[in-house]
Amino acid sequence: MAIGDKVELSSWEKLGNFFRGRSVWMMWYCTGCGAIEMPPTMTSRFDMERLGMGPMATPRQADILLVTGYLSVKTLRRVIYSYEQMQDPKYIIAFGACAVNGGIYFDSYSTINKLDDYLPVDMYIAGCMPRPEAIMNAFNDLQEKIRNNEVDGWKRYKKNYDQYKKNQLKAVGEVYVHDEFHE
Amino acid sequence: MMNSMNNLKEQLKAHYKIAAFEEPTKMQLAFNVEPDKTLDVLAYLKSIGYGQLSLLTCIDWIEIEEFQLVYILFNWDNGIHLLVRTSIDRNNPKFRTIEHIYPGVKYYERDVHEFFGVEFEGNEDSYKHLFLELWEADCPLKKDFDPLEFSTNRYGNRKYETNFPRKVGGE
Repeated sequence: MAIGDKVELSSWEKLGNFFRGRSVWMMWYCTGCGAIEMPPTMTSRFDMERLGMGPMATPRQADILLVTGYLSVKTLRRVIYSYEQMQDPKYIIAFGACAVNGGIYFDSYSTINKLDDYLPVDMYIAGCMPRPEAIMNAFNDLQEKIRNNEVDGWKRYKKNYDQYKKNQLKAVGEVYVHDEFHE
Repeated sequence: MMNSMNNLKEQLKAHYKIAAFEEPTKMQLAFNVEPDKTLDVLAYLKSIGYGQLSLLTCIDWIEIEEFQLVYILFNWDNGIHLLVRTSIDRNNPKFRTIEHIYPGVKYYERDVHEFFGVEFEGNEDSYKHLFLELWEADCPLKKDFDPLEFSTNRYGNRKYETNFPRKVGGE
């Protein structure tokens, strides 16, 4: 079974999705240049809160992980940490060309090319850079997909955990953060 | 300002027989130094006011088999940047640390060590990784390292559908 294959949701989860789709909170992993699109999205120019998008401070309280741009292997380790801290159900939006296929960093020695090898991505936003409208549109689309029971990323991650772990280890060597400045 | 630049040139010529100077832009002075005189020159420059080491970096001249180390110094009194260059053998990349002259250089030396493989004798931390965690491949900024090949082998590329039933602009 491939890691991208659909996983059936139980009927209780489908019932839960009806409510989940109406209350989602976003956490941003602001890596790369995509972080610069977030301030106009949040502030008065585009004002995402009028559409029901809210920022969340910590992974344990967030529902959506928005990965804004390229991931070096060093940051991928931290993203995996953040994702595994999040509580079910959890969703990932990959933002920008770099998270889709490497973008302009396709030949870089330290940045990954496909985020969905390592974590289950539910929604892609193409573009370099995507505009704030694209972020808000993706958020609305994701809410609709949750309500229609089309999103199963967190279930796929559980089901294919060994395979995801294998991919992660191949890219990052060891999913453990060694940091001499904090040890 | 020009006076202090000319004075410096004369001093360096008198003390260390450095004759060839370049001025890449205004208020910058670049010159080459023999490897075994580099520490003396840097200590001298620090004593006359070049107290800030802005950067230590390395250039890989693969065709002449040399690594060029560049120390960029800055003087806050007259605003002059100095680019002190020295060349070492590419096949035996070893140099001495200047941690006792400019203590802040220890991080730059770790940086140069992990990206180019230059060993700095005397800097005990220089083998530690600063940017590349858990890196076991070759030094990535050397010219004979192929990043595209490494990236393809290690991270893979996305496969796309290329056979489309219809062509653009016809059929």
